[in-house]
Amino acid sequence: MSTPAQQVVEGLKALMCDAVPSAREITFAGLSRAAGGLSRENWSFDASWTDASGTHSYPLMLMRDAAGTLLTTERSREFHVLKALKGSAVAAPVVHWMDPDGRFLGAPSVVMERVSGSCDYMVLNGSRPLPERLKLAHDFLELMANMQKFDWQLHGLGERLGVPQKSPAKTELHQWEAEYRRVQIEPHPELDYVLNWLDNNAPDAEAIVLVHGDFKPGNALIEDNVITAKLDWETAHLGDPLEDLGWITNPVRKSEHQIAGHWERAHIVAAYSKLTGRKVSDAALTWWNVFSCWKLSVIQLTAVHEFVSERYNRVFQTPSWLYRPMFHMMSGAR
Amino acid sequence: MRPTVEEQLQGTCRILETVVAPCVSDSYARTILDNLIANLRMLKVALPKVAGFVRDDNVATLSLLLAMQPALKTDLVGRIDTAAQAGEPDVADGAAIEERNRLLRALLAEAVCSPDLTPEIRRSIETHMINRAARAPMRYVPNAPAIITSTPET
Repeated sequence: MSTPAQQVVEGLKALMCDAVPSAREITFAGLSRAAGGLSRENWSFDASWTDASGTHSYPLMLMRDAAGTLLTTERSREFHVLKALKGSAVAAPVVHWMDPDGRFLGAPSVVMERVSGSCDYMVLNGSRPLPERLKLAHDFLELMANMQKFDWQLHGLGERLGVPQKSPAKTELHQWEAEYRRVQIEPHPELDYVLNWLDNNAPDAEAIVLVHGDFKPGNALIEDNVITAKLDWETAHLGDPLEDLGWITNPVRKSEHQIAGHWERAHIVAAYSKLTGRKVSDAALTWWNVFSCWKLSVIQLTAVHEFVSERYNRVFQTPSWLYRPMFHMMSGAR
Repeated sequence: MRPTVEEQLQGTCRILETVVAPCVSDSYARTILDNLIANLRMLKVALPKVAGFVRDDNVATLSLLLAMQPALKTDLVGRIDTAAQAGEPDVADGAAIEERNRLLRALLAEAVCSPDLTPEIRRSIETHMINRAARAPMRYVPNAPAIITSTPET
């Protein structure tokens, strides 16, 4: 019986032969599974091959859907977004191949360039000096602004990702509500209460932009003091510009996104307005903050569902720690 | 009955930490193992509190539902009355207590979406939910990776 690593090598070879039929002398060196991927398996390796156009050698990453996952995602979404972003002002890995239905690798997978740098969830509150952390915080926001300026229509992403036909807030809410109902294994009156509030108070969007969907330092690579790549585009979609801004100003994740006294909600909103020229409605942003917590709750319930279905190897609980902050924000918005 | 459930969980954690973990060199497997040990430690503390928590929650949830009745539709009011009349299961019947909790929380999930809730009822709902969350004995044990390098791990 072959090991998981051997299965990955076999799958990669088959995928490559399908994508590059003239490829020969294919070698994959240094294959190893990186720790950390919560929603998928991340395999690192160096590939070389010869084809009709010459000899090639690349450091690559394979992202393969895990058997159990925190996020139900589509590899093809990530593949097409990364293809569109190539050469843009948004730092992102160059994507090579895709196995959309897992025909070669057993689960939907994408192979992309391995970008140098480290991923640090807590980089904004880590050991770096404050000026460096503030620069990175601003660079993350600028990256978001560049993403929102990206001409998705020109690059055909409307067809690939779907353009919201009603309010993007309602569209996202209803998609996540469907996920909530799919993974719910017991009644959660708290989440139904918040859902009802979100449904009755959804804001309209000022524009439709490319949204990352999980914008955080933990989804980026940093080398020295520079963001070398924004990763994990599998939840990218077209939506409200305030969605990603709501994610990073969400008070329950301050330690990841904010720097106390220097880079808090008001600073972030002011810098965002300067970068994008958009005025930010506080009520609308608060709605997205509540939505962020509610979505986070649903992601945790997905993990619970997958754990009890014996497909996920980490233990999660009902996200009761999120209820109080959601109620607090809802009360302030009334 | 010795070893108690808590003692067995405690001992299992100790064995996993001191005997098994040092032999696990694969970083992914080690991350998973650390998460499991942390969760077992949480369970050791939480387990003795679960039954009492669910019993108390049934009483508090029913009380809230009865107070909400003026803001609810007739059909839902009738189902709450039926649940109230059924009474609490025997204290030794854990499964029945859990099932009643599920029923009462399903009724509450429906009730909190009523369009006729007054600000006072909303406050009562939120107070109930915050108190319940504060007392919930089982907690997520975060064990997220801090730094992940993009270079291959051996």
